[in-house]
Amino acid sequence: MTGREIVELVKQKVGVPWREQSYRDTFKFGDPDSPIKGIATTMMVTFGMLKRANEAGLNMVIAHEPTFWNDRDETKDLLNDPLYQAKTGYMRENSMVVWRMHDHMHSMQPDYTVVGSLRSVGVKGGENAGMRPGVLPIPETTLGAFASQAKRRSGARAVRCVSDPKAKVGKVLLGPGYATPRMSLDTDIVVGGEQQEADGLFDNVQYVADAASLGIPKGLVMLGHVVSEQAGMEDLGKWMQTFIKGVPIQFVPADEPYWT
Amino acid sequence: MKILDISRRRFVQVAGAAATAQFPLRGADAPTAKAMVQRLQSALGGQWVTDGVDGFKAGDPNTPVKAIATTAMAIMDVLKQAARSSANLIFTHEPTFFGRQDGPAPPRSDGFTGLSADDPVYLAKKEFIDKNGLVIFRLHDNWLSRRSSDMTAGLAEKLGWAKNRVRPDDGLYDIPAATAEETVAHIRQKLKLRGGLRAAGDRTAAVKRVLLLPGFTTAAVMLKRYREADLTITGEVREWENTFYAADVFTAGERRGLVTVGRVVSEDPGMRVCAGWLKTVVTEAPVRWIPAGDPYWRAA
Repeated sequence: MTGREIVELVKQKVGVPWREQSYRDTFKFGDPDSPIKGIATTMMVTFGMLKRANEAGLNMVIAHEPTFWNDRDETKDLLNDPLYQAKTGYMRENSMVVWRMHDHMHSMQPDYTVVGSLRSVGVKGGENAGMRPGVLPIPETTLGAFASQAKRRSGARAVRCVSDPKAKVGKVLLGPGYATPRMSLDTDIVVGGEQQEADGLFDNVQYVADAASLGIPKGLVMLGHVVSEQAGMEDLGKWMQTFIKGVPIQFVPADEPYWT
Repeated sequence: MKILDISRRRFVQVAGAAATAQFPLRGADAPTAKAMVQRLQSALGGQWVTDGVDGFKAGDPNTPVKAIATTAMAIMDVLKQAARSSANLIFTHEPTFFGRQDGPAPPRSDGFTGLSADDPVYLAKKEFIDKNGLVIFRLHDNWLSRRSSDMTAGLAEKLGWAKNRVRPDDGLYDIPAATAEETVAHIRQKLKLRGGLRAAGDRTAAVKRVLLLPGFTTAAVMLKRYREADLTITGEVREWENTFYAADVFTAGERRGLVTVGRVVSEDPGMRVCAGWLKTVVTEAPVRWIPAGDPYWRAA
């Protein structure tokens, strides 16, 4: 099977009309018509992840996020960048093919990034959730205890939180990756991947910090972009196994980039 | 003619300081917030940016000023400290009301709903501001346009690295040799950080030269300069762009690192410089700096 044939099967099964104009969900590297030995699903095409996929004999990567450190995977300004040269050189040498699966994952039902993210922090009730799972109830706990559970279950090293750790919480609103939802009146906690800290559309950090100062218990739990969407890429691989036969499919996680 | 060497900005500073020193104003005669901002505008000297985010965000501009506070962000904790110390004019670098809009906003065409006019946190914060007679002015674009590197110099000074600046008006500094991990520990201690700092790349890298980029750093800027320093230290980046570049550079075998300390906390020291500068422009009212601090803590 070629990369192009694999992508055609995904397009047929995805359950929503394929949007050819998506600049995200396209081949990012390699020859789509070359033979595929195995598929690695992953959150982000990091150099480390590429090496682990190649060492496992998988030469096609299906990733949720970019390869070349920008959303459009523009490379024209990178041609003289030594890292770009090393990364593309490695992929070329090992006949690797990269395809991104982003926009269509978020319109699939369920949205595996959301399902996986909710599972990875231990929130129940989102097993069939779409891109916007809504506010989900959790057994009443404190923000600090919820954050500890999220850290332990997701394995994240750098979970950042805002507000009073002792705040009583019972409702969670989650959005994956950069789609961290804005804090709203009907939830106690917002869980997200990453979000601009200040001067954005809605500054959750300031809002939640101020709410705490004013005695209004709210909480923000930021998992990091990779951690927040990683589990969903394992789910995507399992889903692909139901209709792609004869080509091994493995989940090869991207490392959380932070050492502290 | 020596006098030509004095810039217009400096001239206004000297002239302004002399004039106000002669006629100290008190009580009802104290200059209003609006007058203070006008003074600041002329003291900054250059073209005043009006199409950006700067301007009064809360309070009555005609309020007589008792004392001034500068901060990276007018969060509730900063406002409480300001009110306690009778500072009633606050210059904030970042927004007051939870976003660039800096106040209630109608829903957008894409369905995003911003702050609503009856939001309880917004109303409670506004009530505190009104009750305490505070006036808040966002000073962002015009402070940054003053001289590109005040925010950088402030951060370097706070980190104890000010004296070994590689080039004037630039973010490169030579610092005492240490590993990336040791340097991170130093930064944490000097900036009194809680949980906001995150580091990527080589934790064992030998660090001698750092690049300081307070605030938000785009991938374009970082990629262009990443190899000029052993450690790049900034406020905030996009994880899925800059941070993964740093992680990939490490995987490729280059011994460097990236440290993000938090956007607001990286801007605090620059607003301390701003307070120092305001003292040269305003003599009738005391000026103090109130750091917003690190808003984050880590899950245990």
